[in-house]
Amino acid sequence: MRYDSVIIGGGLSGLVCGLRLVQAGKRCAIISSGQSALHFSSGSFDLLSALPDGEAVTSPVEGVKVLAEQNEEHPYVKMGVERFAALAAEAVATLQGAGVEVEGDVAKNHYRLTPMGTLKPTWLTLSGYVRSESAEALPYKSVLLLNAEGFLDFYAQFISDELRKTGTTCRICNFNLPALEIIRNNPTEMRSANIARIFDNEQAVEALSQIISREAGECEAVLLPAFLGIERGDVLARLQERCGRTIRVVATLPPSVPGVRTQIALRKAFERAGGVYMLGDTALGFEESEGRITKIYTQNHGNIAIEADDFVLATGSYFSQGLVAKREGVVEPLFGSDVCQSESRGEWYERDLFTAQPFEKFGVRSDASLRILRGGKAVENLYVIGAGLAGFNPVKEGCGAGVSMLSAVYVSDNILKK
Amino acid sequence: MTKEYDVIIIGGGATGAGVARDCALRGIKPLLVERFDIATGATGRNHGLLHSGARYAVNDHESAEECIRENMILRRIASHCVDETGGLFISLPEDGLEFQKKFIESCLSAGIYAEAIDPKEALLLEPSANPALIGAVKVPDGSVDPFRLTTANIIDAKLHGAEVLTYHEVEELIMEQGRVVGVKVLDRKSGERKEIRSRIVVNAGGIWGHNIAKKAGVTINMLPAKGSLLIFGHRVNNVVLNRCRKPADADILVPGDTISLIGTTSSKVLFDEVDNMYVTADEVDLLLREGAMLAPSLLHTRILRAYAGVRPLVASDDDPSGRSVSRGIVVLDHATRDGVEGFITITGGKLMTYRLMGEWTTDLICKKLAVDAKCTTAERPLPGSSPQKREQTSRKIHAVPTMQRESSLYRHGDMAERVETSTSAKRSLVCECEEVSVGEVEYAINALEVNNLVDLRRRTRVGMGTCQGELCACRAAGLMAEHGKYCTRRAKQDLASFLNERWKGMAPVAWGDTLRESEFTMWLYDGVCGLTTKKEEEK
Repeated sequence: MRYDSVIIGGGLSGLVCGLRLVQAGKRCAIISSGQSALHFSSGSFDLLSALPDGEAVTSPVEGVKVLAEQNEEHPYVKMGVERFAALAAEAVATLQGAGVEVEGDVAKNHYRLTPMGTLKPTWLTLSGYVRSESAEALPYKSVLLLNAEGFLDFYAQFISDELRKTGTTCRICNFNLPALEIIRNNPTEMRSANIARIFDNEQAVEALSQIISREAGECEAVLLPAFLGIERGDVLARLQERCGRTIRVVATLPPSVPGVRTQIALRKAFERAGGVYMLGDTALGFEESEGRITKIYTQNHGNIAIEADDFVLATGSYFSQGLVAKREGVVEPLFGSDVCQSESRGEWYERDLFTAQPFEKFGVRSDASLRILRGGKAVENLYVIGAGLAGFNPVKEGCGAGVSMLSAVYVSDNILKK
Repeated sequence: MTKEYDVIIIGGGATGAGVARDCALRGIKPLLVERFDIATGATGRNHGLLHSGARYAVNDHESAEECIRENMILRRIASHCVDETGGLFISLPEDGLEFQKKFIESCLSAGIYAEAIDPKEALLLEPSANPALIGAVKVPDGSVDPFRLTTANIIDAKLHGAEVLTYHEVEELIMEQGRVVGVKVLDRKSGERKEIRSRIVVNAGGIWGHNIAKKAGVTINMLPAKGSLLIFGHRVNNVVLNRCRKPADADILVPGDTISLIGTTSSKVLFDEVDNMYVTADEVDLLLREGAMLAPSLLHTRILRAYAGVRPLVASDDDPSGRSVSRGIVVLDHATRDGVEGFITITGGKLMTYRLMGEWTTDLICKKLAVDAKCTTAERPLPGSSPQKREQTSRKIHAVPTMQRESSLYRHGDMAERVETSTSAKRSLVCECEEVSVGEVEYAINALEVNNLVDLRRRTRVGMGTCQGELCACRAAGLMAEHGKYCTRRAKQDLASFLNERWKGMAPVAWGDTLRESEFTMWLYDGVCGLTTKKEEEK
């Protein structure tokens, strides 16, 4: 089997990279073990919310210039501060092209509503999610907060108490539906993805719209947990149409229904454009020759090698097992890439979970083109993108999704330039 | 406050709870004060081993005898806290079989059933044991849940008239004419201070008893000894595994509930460290290296967390250097020892002998108060432990899904019937790892004196499974707020501090899947939820 490019890892980064390559006419395959960080997405994509020293960033395009002074190993800095805005624009275009509707501005962060009820800066937010241009308050004076009775992964009181502080009055209402009773009978079933399936059914949408019309009263907007439909993407639109009201969704605890939908949308766009998505497969080994990777082997394909001109590693960090922490040190398990890390295990951690953890900055070493270093030397045709990159803290700097998408665009450009 | 008690017991560990129960059963009115939750000190930080006494048989005949007696008593009175797993003392080639002979003789002379079995039979009995073993001895070890045991004692004490104040810290002892007549306590939740009087004050503060005694001007030469342990992600062994050699580091592997525990290390620590101990990377490596000698599969088993407790070792009064320490029970009547009336210290000993410690202390209290009543704690089953009632309870709640029913019965014994299970909403799971339902969480919140998520965890195992509180912590915090335990602002602070408490135990072993889980927790709570620690929130 021969492709122009093979991407290992089918999360946000791998999909964006793959989409751009197939759209440019490359024969491209993605090998995906199935899950990715999109499955617990907040519904937003962060670009840059804070600097390594903790200072908040309101404008990512401006912030990245200061970032360059604080951390020259940061992937944004390696890719070139001057290319930052263009890469971001390309990333947005790729999402939109795949039918993933997002809103946001690279020059100015907006704010998303967290499940804790606080407002957090971000770059892009999926349409349908509640968002605000202001860090201080929502654009609504009064909201109705609806939750499915017994859904524990969304706690409305957390949100309503915070909103009240910012001047938005909030009424909480729990609703029940016959279909919910059925899933509730199994004690583990009341989770977002299962509830979402209920709303793939027209009857449930109709029933919910009646509840909204009955309960919403004078409220300016109705907020719901993000569990409206797995297969169908138009549930929110139909609800709004029926009720004639502003209805928005708020992130829940995982799984993230809109995150799963985003992953599916990107995958379908990739496949429509001619890409091959090998779902449920895992890369296990490779062959190399004269400083190049020539082929890889996967679990499902056994001794049938997959050959390509270029390979892209998009396997994520620890959670997705793109990085594996062993007792003796952190390794990149597929290619044995050089990994940037602290000397001893005692230095991996900070005692407060909520401070920047050193292990989050560990990752695969790369050159300026994001080609992977092995034994200190760049491999001619092997790139790294996404969470596996070294030198950044996705959570504290609010840049995880941004690094994933921008590095994907950057590397696809580098491959296409060849 | 004019209310007067017969006895004030300082310390809500197993010992304090045992004293409180014994007093209450003998018609003496006790008040127990504890600065945190019950069982937060050494009681909640050990192996949870139901010692047969075999470990002490060779070197400490008296302790061994005490252990086996109490072992048999606990099987009767605390059956819902005890898992009768049996134990094996295995000899590896480097240990030789020399020690085994002496070991069996010593066990038998202390009244401990000990039988050498064929190595092959030992491996059939416990397949996780090191296949290189050359000898094995069967003993009546088991495991005991220290928290459940302490709770049961507290519940029974309260049923018989005891009062309990958790989150109350003793700041001073009230002294009048060379006599201890009460305590000044700080209510840690409200910040209020009050005086409470009693005829006798019992110091059952474990290692913290060292400082409590000082408040009466009394010196007890205690030596804090840190013992670190590792918790594995599943039940690796079903039989307690020990090394058949002179007791050393990391030579006991105990199955408990859904997990297994290896321990311990032993090192001296300073008194100012005992409130906040961290397990080091070296200790973790030592525990793993030695643990793998008992059960080689430990090297490939996920470690959930590491933690450390402090043993309250007491130096003999005639040895100020502290070299000759005893693990035996120490009851100090400060009237005869130091000329301070109305003050007793109970220390030393071990979890296994908590009941006997309670008995001896209460005997002394009775003598002082001229009460003529016999100890009955060895015969009366603890609440939750009645086998007939448990069977009845199991039948009563038969409609509850099997796993949930068994988990609930395992944790609460016959008290499981108090868990609301009538609707599907109540049966909905808060914690999937440990099968904790909404009903069980609500029962704990309403009936078991829960103040925060850590308290809730001790009563229900919420957040103790493989995910270490990833999703259940948030759900439980929501339920706590809903039931008026606190406002949502405090709920979020509590959630952050609960996650940090989990992290404290995970950081020393955060590689492999444990690090994956931690990264996920960080992404979720810090990233998606925007949760911060208190300091930042105030800013």
